Amino acid sequence: MTDASNTTTVNTDATKIMGGTGEPIIEVRGMDKFFGDFQALTNIDMVVGKQEVVVVIGPSGSGKSTLIRCINRLERHDRGTIIVDGIELSDDVRNIQEIRRETGMVFQSFNLFPHLTVLENITLAPRNVRGVPKAQAEAHAMELLERVKIPQQANKYPGQMSGGQQQRVAIARTLAMRPKVVLFDEPTSALDPEMVKEVLDTMKDLALEGMTMICVTHEMGFAREVGDRVVFMADGMIVEVGSPEHFFTTPQEERTKLFLSQIL
Amino acid sequence: MTNEISLLSTGEDPMSVPEAPRSSQKLSPGAWLKVNLFNSVTNSIITVVVGLIAAYVTWQAVAWVISKDFTIIRDTLRIFMIGQFPDDELWRLWVSGAILVIAIGLAAGALARNSYELAESQGLEPESSSVLDLVRRFWAIIAILLLFASFARTAQPKIGIVAVIILVFVVRQLAWSAPVAIRSRAVYISALLVVGSTLVVAGTSRLGGACVGIVVFAWALNESGRRDVAAMRGGRFVSWLLPLVVAAIVAAIVAAIGFDGYGWDDWGGIHVNLFTAVVGITLGMPFGILLALGRQSKLPVVRTASVLYIEFVRGVPLISLLLFSKLLLPLFLPIDMERPAALTLAIVVIMGFSAAYVAEIVRGGLQAVPKGQTEAAQALGLSPGAMQRMIVLPQALRAVIPAMVGQFIALFKDTTLLTTVAVLEFLDAATIANNQPQFLGKGLAPVTYLFVAVGFWAFSFTMSKESRRLEQRLGVGTR
Ligand SMILES: Nc1ncnc2c1ncn2[C@@H]1O[C@H](COP(=O)(O)OP(=O)(O)OP(=O)(O)O)[C@@H](O)[C@H]1O
Ligand SMILES: [Mg+2]
Repeated sequence: MTDASNTTTVNTDATKIMGGTGEPIIEVRGMDKFFGDFQALTNIDMVVGKQEVVVVIGPSGSGKSTLIRCINRLERHDRGTIIVDGIELSDDVRNIQEIRRETGMVFQSFNLFPHLTVLENITLAPRNVRGVPKAQAEAHAMELLERVKIPQQANKYPGQMSGGQQQRVAIARTLAMRPKVVLFDEPTSALDPEMVKEVLDTMKDLALEGMTMICVTHEMGFAREVGDRVVFMADGMIVEVGSPEHFFTTPQEERTKLFLSQIL
Repeated sequence: MTNEISLLSTGEDPMSVPEAPRSSQKLSPGAWLKVNLFNSVTNSIITVVVGLIAAYVTWQAVAWVISKDFTIIRDTLRIFMIGQFPDDELWRLWVSGAILVIAIGLAAGALARNSYELAESQGLEPESSSVLDLVRRFWAIIAILLLFASFARTAQPKIGIVAVIILVFVVRQLAWSAPVAIRSRAVYISALLVVGSTLVVAGTSRLGGACVGIVVFAWALNESGRRDVAAMRGGRFVSWLLPLVVAAIVAAIVAAIGFDGYGWDDWGGIHVNLFTAVVGITLGMPFGILLALGRQSKLPVVRTASVLYIEFVRGVPLISLLLFSKLLLPLFLPIDMERPAALTLAIVVIMGFSAAYVAEIVRGGLQAVPKGQTEAAQALGLSPGAMQRMIVLPQALRAVIPAMVGQFIALFKDTTLLTTVAVLEFLDAATIANNQPQFLGKGLAPVTYLFVAVGFWAFSFTMSKESRRLEQRLGVGTR
């Protein structure tokens, strides 16, 4: 959160870390992504620092989701390199598993497992992927539920909870794997307005505790308050990058201005 | 998230008997009639017309049943129930039936208690399950068993049947109040009891040993998971090895003891239909799930083989497969090999047949699992195998319970085809009874066929009712 940046202007270089400890944890270089003939991402260069909070914004279809989904291999990138915590993402299954263990992801539609209770949702991966003993996994899960402020829901099924609660469980489930990075893909877009705040507060706490985060979101208040850096994308390219205050006050690119005028 | 919900709450089944309006406001019988049957002119006319037709049909049917002589059932009951099972081996059936009933009661009681406690811990109102509720749920089967017993000549079968019915209730209540340590293992104990019950009748100790070994292995694996052996150094290895060793030892012991059961060449009656259907679908289910997964495999060989198998089996009638197994298969077997019993072949065929249908049902379920589920599992780092086992299959199978039960009921009724390979099943028993010299030409065929129909109906009806109940309950869990 400490503003290590001394950039005064907004530019197009997404490889400059602007917060956290300053050491890189995710490096994306020259990445292209195609869906058939359609190029969804073009020549993406981006570096994210440890404990940095990067907010990705952009119009619908600009490739924000695709970008973060490439980082944990939910989509396979076609060109360029992606390095997460020193591991290069390749077709090697072990590398993929390794990277997925280090990166958590929170989805727009929560994607909790409906047939498992909240507690089982949270302890499943630690027990099966990391081999954590059941008692220990459950103790950790209760701690996390405490942290997202719903400890009394542990035995419920996801379907018995509100959207906001479900998303907080999804965050707890992600944290249970003790990831080094958490990727958020519009975590509040599917929520009723009155529940957005509880999820944003949880994310804010997480950022304050020093978690590295990449957040795709339309919550500009969150971006301003919590983000170390804002990355604006359009048509599969990174168009403009800057610290929140510069980005929102002195955008340079026409497309950025247009987008901001529409959304603010 | 809405996908799986809509899947689980299917529409009304025409067979469904509306539950008595317990929860809704209580109306006096007169008021109830007015609200439900005579609330408009059209409705009143329909009520009267349908009522008259129903009364007429019922009256005719009752008159017909009363006019008939049921001594034919009384005289041939044994063929209907157990075929030509010899007298001095009869104890095997009773013992195996009692073990089976204990297994059912144990599993039912423990599972009911577990879901009761789960509901309680979630602050939901737990479902009541008094003996009265159970009778309401299973009245058709209880009634049919009592009907069977009522036709018995001697007192022994009557006492036996009543004792078995009481036994299942007693065991269920005991299991309900058993300590957690027993309840959490009830499914494994039940599985062992079921295998044991077949061993008593059918023997085949080597096969039985293998079955016992599999159950013990699953059990031991689960136990070692409970104590989290996996967390120790090299624990993953131990947690697999230990159960394997235990299972191998137990399997060897069972195989060595040898249960010289009674071979199933002379099995018959409804006993065979129930046995073949249950064994056929139980063995066919895992095979079918593998086929469904195989059909989705990335490996072309596996995929093609699965598709070919499924499409071939689904494209031909069961009866042709049964005949094929009887007439052609022995030609392919080595000459010095003993020809398998007709029932063995039939069970293998029914297993393979149901596997193909189960595969298609499961495939539908697999497709209904939203993509977000697999993505979430992948993002958490689950391996593909763990993802299928713990995330995809449980949801897919839940979604297809009704279809699966429907398949089972169809299969149960299809066991009448066993007659084509000279297995004396329930429907066949009717023919045999009708052809007894003393009953020939007396026009008693309708009586025996009615008896058979009612027998099939009671089981099918209860199963479809139970499946709907299960479906609703699982729906509550995921809504
Ligand atoms: N699986 C896919 N197959 C084909 N095209 C895809 C696929 N996924 C995404 N696309 C396309 O790639 C482009 C980028 O999609 P992406 O989902 O990354 O956009 P986004 O910026 O996240 O948009 P939104 O704000 O609507 O979520 C879009 O044009 C989309 O149509
Ligand atoms: Mg998106």
